[in-house]
Formats: sequence, structure tokens, C-alpha cells
Amino acid sequence: MDHIEYLFAGFAVFWGGLFIYLLLLQMRIRALSQEIGRLEERLAEAEAPPAARTVTPPAPPGTGGRGGRDAPEQASEVAAQDA
Amino acid sequence: MNQLLRRLEPLGWNVLPPVVGVAMTAMIVGALAAAPREIIEGEVQRLMYLHVPSAVIMYGAFGFTAFASVMLLWKRDMRWDAAARSAALVGVFLCSMVLLSGAIWGKPIWGVYWTWDARLTTTLILLLIYVAYLLARSVAGPLDEQAARYAAIFAIIGVVDIPIIQMSVRWWRTLHPQPIIFRPNPALPDEMLLVLLIGFIAVASLATWLIFLQWNTERAAQRVSALRAEVDHREMA
Amino acid sequence: MSPFLAVVEKDLRLAWRNRSGWASAAAFATIAVLTYSFAFDLATGDVRPLLPGVLWTTFLFAGVFAAGQSFQDEVEDGTFEAMRLAPIPATAIFAGKLTANLIALLIIEFAQLLLATILFDAGLFTPALLGIVLIGTIGYVSLTTLLSTMGGHVRGRSVLLPVLVLPLLVPLLIGAVRGTGAALGLEAGTAPWIVLLGVFTLWSTLGAFLLFPVAVER
Repeated sequence: MDHIEYLFAGFAVFWGGLFIYLLLLQMRIRALSQEIGRLEERLAEAEAPPAARTVTPPAPPGTGGRGGRDAPEQASEVAAQDA
Repeated sequence: MNQLLRRLEPLGWNVLPPVVGVAMTAMIVGALAAAPREIIEGEVQRLMYLHVPSAVIMYGAFGFTAFASVMLLWKRDMRWDAAARSAALVGVFLCSMVLLSGAIWGKPIWGVYWTWDARLTTTLILLLIYVAYLLARSVAGPLDEQAARYAAIFAIIGVVDIPIIQMSVRWWRTLHPQPIIFRPNPALPDEMLLVLLIGFIAVASLATWLIFLQWNTERAAQRVSALRAEVDHREMA
Repeated sequence: MSPFLAVVEKDLRLAWRNRSGWASAAAFATIAVLTYSFAFDLATGDVRPLLPGVLWTTFLFAGVFAAGQSFQDEVEDGTFEAMRLAPIPATAIFAGKLTANLIALLIIEFAQLLLATILFDAGLFTPALLGIVLIGTIGYVSLTTLLSTMGGHVRGRSVLLPVLVLPLLVPLLIGAVRGTGAALGLEAGTAPWIVLLGVFTLWSTLGAFLLFPVAVER
């Protein structure tokens, strides 16, 4: 009449659930802080002195191109986690 | 709000984690070892020390969602949106845990995992309402004020609807054990009551800590949105 | 003419102009009643006890469907933005929309009751039952109108609407189904269910009226 296996299952579900929750949260925090770092870098580049910008009109070609390609992927990543 | 936050934020990082750790450990030891074995239900009754506190704290989390939603509509500060969303997420987590641990307890005691009992039905509807809230909020970005206000209104309707749902559902015959704790003379032995109290402290501190972590995460997401908008703006110029 | 009547007239005219949307809500309800009565007839010999459940699930789904549709039309026509800019009180806008939706849905429900009378061979046009249908419809239309009118630019809202509204409507569903069952003589005693239905309708209508101005304010 003790059903100790049900007791074990109940606690396991709680701790398992908590572990998964914290794992997902940790992954999301890491993705977000990386994204913040990257965006702040780009912001600093965009604020570069006007002299540098007149030499290479829109943005530095290498960094600008890479940033442009990365951004949509990250955006979809964050959106997927949001949902 | 700013001053209060500045004072409370270090507490969230430094004080909450050890409190959660100690309280959760005490709760496990108490529930699995210290509390006496229940005569009729046997060992599986020890799930109560997790189940009952989670159910009560879940209502607290949903109540806080409604409070933060009112504050969002009033103050129009998007930090309240992050707070409402975090509390709802933690509430949904606790609600799922309550339903799952209840089902696991129900199988040996009632003979079925699920039955359309009043309290079970109400809890399931509650879960559906707050999952819907999270869906309504997540269709737009973290800084979308219209979506935030929409979700806030929905959260307020939801919380007012809860007593009506309970009243309507209670008119069915109920299987769930009737409350024996919240009475002037609790029918529970002292040792069990003490362990249950520890369980309340443990789950309450856990929920507070999770809401705090989640709130910081939502704030980071809001910052990403703001930065992205600013980068776009600068690079266009 | 009072602003309220002007909004009602405008919304009814809009509903008539976009009658294909409302026609599809009516067609949906008709198909649902037909499918239910056919499917349940296969499973059980006597379908009459299932009638209250059939009617109310059909009404709720048709109502949610129609509410999403009606606001979609309004956003496309741009009339809602125009109305918000006009010096009309938000309460009058809401009352007008609510009344127009209510009239359109009552017409659809009347047709479904007629169809169900034939299919289920039940006397549905009794004062008690019509009263329950009217009270219940006011109750759910106020919530669907509130939730469909808000946040018009929120993407994916029309798909989300049933997910949002149906859990909130559980008390209404319980009260209406049980009350309808009692009015049809399937179970004894109508009073408590009608009280429940009335309380819910009062609450949802009041809540929607109070929250609508907050919802649309900029």
C-alpha cells in the first residue's frame, strides 16, 4: 500500500522539470547577452568618427557585410526562444 | 520603483540563491525522512509537501501577474510587462508541476490519473488561460507596447474570471481532498504541519528566485530589441 | 442621432457590405450542427441529450470566428482608426460594436435553432430557451468583441482568439449547457444555472465596458 515508486516519480518530475526550466533559461540568457555584446559593438562602429565614414561610405565593408548576414539568423533564434 | 529596485536587486543575486538552496534541502529531508508516514495513504502522501505549497504559490504568481498588468496599464513602464510575463511563466511552470504531481498521487490513491473533479478542472483551465496569456504576449516583440497592453487586459480579465470558474465548476460533485490546513484547528499532526510550512517557505523562495531570474532575462530581451532598433537607425543614417 | 446609434448603423452597414464573412460564419455553424448530429447519430441511438452541448459549442465557435472576421474587415476598411480619431466616447463605440455583433450573431443562432429543431426533433422555441440563448450570447459576445477589437495590429491574433476566449468562457458554457438541458426537460431544476449564466454575463459585459476605453487609448 506504500506506492513508493509513485512518490519517487512525483519528486523526479518536479526536479526534472525545474532542471529543464533552468537549463532553457540559462541558454536564453547566454544568447541574449551575446546578442547585446554584438549589438553594442555595431553601435560603436556606427558611431565611428565621420572622417572614417566618408572614406568608406556606408560602413566598413567586411564587418558591415558580416553583421548584415548574422542579424536575421540571430533574430529568428531569439524569436524561436520567445515562442 | 527605481530606488526600490536598486536596493532589492543585490538581494536577488546574493541572498536568494542560498536561501532557496537551504529551504529546498530542508524541504526534501523533511518530506522524505522527518515527516511521519501517513497511515492510510502510505509513503506516496509525502508528495503533499511539494504539491500543496506549489498550488498556493501558483495562485500568488498569477495574482502578481494581474498586479503587474494593472501597473503596466497605469504607469506605462515596460518593466512591469517583463514582471507580469515572468510571473506568468513561473506560474505556468508551478501549475504544470501541481497537475503532474497530483496525477501521480491520484493513480495509487484514486485509481486514476485524471478525473473531471472540480479542483482539477479549475487548475487545468487556469493553466490554459495563462498559456494563452503567454502566447498573446509572445506574438510581438519585447518592446511592442500594444501587444503588452493587450496581454495585460487579458491577464486582468483572466484573474477576475478565476472565482467565477471556481464557483461554476464546484457545482459538480468533488473528489479532491477537502482543505484541512486552513482551519482554526488544523487536522494535520504537528510534525506534518511543520514540514508543510518548510515546504511553503521553500517553494515561495524558489518561485521568487525564478521570477527574478526570468525578469532579468525579459529585461535583457527588451534591451536587445532597443539596441537592434538603434543600430538600424544609426546604420540607415 | 446619438453616437451609439451611429456606430450601430455603421457596423451593421459594414457587416452587410462584408456579408461574405458573416455568411461563412453562418455556414460554419450550419456545417457544425449537421456534422455533430450525423456523427453522434452514428455513435449513439438517442442524440437528444447531446443537443445542449451541440448547440453551445457551435454558438461559441461561430461567435469567435465571426468576431475575428468582423474586426478584420474594420481594420481593412480603416474605419476603426477613423472612429477613434472622431470625438465619440469609447464606450459608445464599444456599445455600438457589441450591439451590431449581437444582432448578426442572433440571426445566425436563430437559423441554427431552426435547423436543430428539424434534425433533433425538439421544441426549441420556448421562452425559457430563447432567454438562455439571449443572455448567453450577450455574455460571450462582450468578451469576443473586447478581445477581437483590441490590438488590431497584433499579428496572428485571429488564430489566437479562440485560444484566448474559450478558457474564459467555461462558466458560461457550463451554465448555458445545463440551463438549456433543463429548459428542454433533460434534467430537473433550471434556477441555479440561469443565475450562473446571468452572473457571468453581467460580469463579462461590465468588465468589457470598463476595460475597452483602457484598451484603445493611446
